[in-house]
Amino acid sequence: MPDLRTHLVKARSAARRAHTARGTGVRARLDALEAEVQENRRLNRRIAELTDLVAELVVPLARREDAEVHEVLARYRSII
Amino acid sequence: MTTTDQLVDGYHVGDHGLTLPGTVSGVVTVSFDGRYVWSFQPLRDARPGPAGRTVVWPAALRPHLRGRTRLTLAEPGTGRTYVDQEVVLGGEVAERLRLEDPHGHPLAVNKVGNLTRVFAETDGAARAEILHGTARVLDDLRTHGGVEAYLGYGCLLGAVREGAMIGTDCDADLCYLSERTHPVDVVRESYALERAMLARGWRTVRMSGGDFKVLLRLGDGRTVYVDVFVAFYVDGVFYQLGNRSGRLPREAITPTSTVVLEGVELPAPADPEAMLAFVYGPGWRVPDPSFRFTDPRGGVRRLDGWLRGYRDDLPAWNAFFRSPEADEVPRRRSDFARWTRRRILRGDTVVELGPGTGRDAAFFARQGHRVHAYDISPDARSRTQRRLRRSSGTSAVRRLMLGELRTVVVTGAEIGTLSGRRHLYARRLVNALDDEARRNLWRLARMALAGDRGSLFLELSVLAPGLPDRVEPAGLGRRLDAEGVVAELQAYGAHVQERRDGPGTDVLDRPDPWTCRLQVHFPRTLGATRA
Repeated sequence: MPDLRTHLVKARSAARRAHTARGTGVRARLDALEAEVQENRRLNRRIAELTDLVAELVVPLARREDAEVHEVLARYRSII
Repeated sequence: MTTTDQLVDGYHVGDHGLTLPGTVSGVVTVSFDGRYVWSFQPLRDARPGPAGRTVVWPAALRPHLRGRTRLTLAEPGTGRTYVDQEVVLGGEVAERLRLEDPHGHPLAVNKVGNLTRVFAETDGAARAEILHGTARVLDDLRTHGGVEAYLGYGCLLGAVREGAMIGTDCDADLCYLSERTHPVDVVRESYALERAMLARGWRTVRMSGGDFKVLLRLGDGRTVYVDVFVAFYVDGVFYQLGNRSGRLPREAITPTSTVVLEGVELPAPADPEAMLAFVYGPGWRVPDPSFRFTDPRGGVRRLDGWLRGYRDDLPAWNAFFRSPEADEVPRRRSDFARWTRRRILRGDTVVELGPGTGRDAAFFARQGHRVHAYDISPDARSRTQRRLRRSSGTSAVRRLMLGELRTVVVTGAEIGTLSGRRHLYARRLVNALDDEARRNLWRLARMALAGDRGSLFLELSVLAPGLPDRVEPAGLGRRLDAEGVVAELQAYGAHVQERRDGPGTDVLDRPDPWTCRLQVHFPRTLGATRA
């Protein structure tokens, strides 16, 4: 009987360890997923900035002569 | 009378905070010499202890708590006064405690913990100016910005509840419901709206991808901010900046109705009461100067991810450049400036990124170099401008937010089109940047210098065993792995021309045990690099 009790204690302890490890693993994966989702959300502002740069700076620059580049840059700075 | 004297049974006041009996549970307003300064809820804000509940003074208030004042603790709306006593804070001083701005206007702690002017302490003429200015902003947003803007937050609450501005409020908040349902489009629309306001002659400050402030200059020289917040739906969830999110039907917002605020009729949400219940909860009809928002965590996280993240440290930098500590930054040039000066030619242009107080920018100007300076902090830009004005009439000081691609690209293009040789100089700037901002710095440097048009001079505080991760000022920077920085630069096409590792100095010229100095150049033209 003492043997059986020892086995039972050991089995319970192993089950507890496995449960804890699985919990930690899921928690860690959730944290990582949350961080990755947040990283993707940040792309929204980045895309908006890029689109704004193309529409308001690159396209006007492409239409101008070199002498007018400063004027285009100054205008863009004044509206951001 | 000392700061630890017991005033009335169970009430203590000290430099650390206030201790009240556990029986006080309602909102408590705090006044100095009869002027409102702050309010709190003991059950929410105070910590229980053996002597009662202790609430600490707000951080914004603490530096000003020096002098004698008549302290009043009261419960608003009931006429109940707990304490009304003369006290001394900040040691034995004879002067009255003064809580005023540089123009002598009284200040109070607002609902986000900042020290600001509140309407209760603003005279009638100024209140009328603010009200009429707000009406003009609303009209321009609707007529020229093409959005159905409406009164929001405290102004709406005041208008519906009592037809007047709320005494503890400090600004005017306006909102508009965007028809866009993708965050990218929401941001772009906000940019367009800001431009419409600029075209009308307003001055603005952008706060995030979804809100900006319109500056109202008052007759007394003071500036009041009118916030313009976007509201929008994504997947059926309603979001309204600041940080509100949840369920609110579209019919509660548009078509807009009107409310009367201090005699002026202004646009309001279609169902103002539904909006107020959404923003302030079901108890919105009962005044609570200590009110704080409790927003759903998921909604705040989404708004942070979609719209924010590039100016998180800016308030702390502004606070530093306004603090007495910034006055301790030596006026004389740094050792790194001298090191750099030896490596550039007379007539070269120096562009300093992150000049702070402007000590090194002024040194380069005095040495006869044309100087341009860029900084994120308006307070740093003012300091640099003042220093440069004394040293050179031709220098330009502009805004650069390295986390925001638009200012990065326009700055890179401005420097790239300068004539002659130009160098970028950044002392300890990289320690203050997050990963994205640091990569933008390398992009900017490549735009400005590609094709061997000058060097990038960097000094940074680097990691070493036993050294704390955070660096001065105010722990706003962190040490970096020098090898990692070099590897990143190389990925952007940079060649390290010179590197020196060893002891150096921090922003205040105190010893920094381990720093790295780099002179790098970008030999290839744009488009020929990996990153």
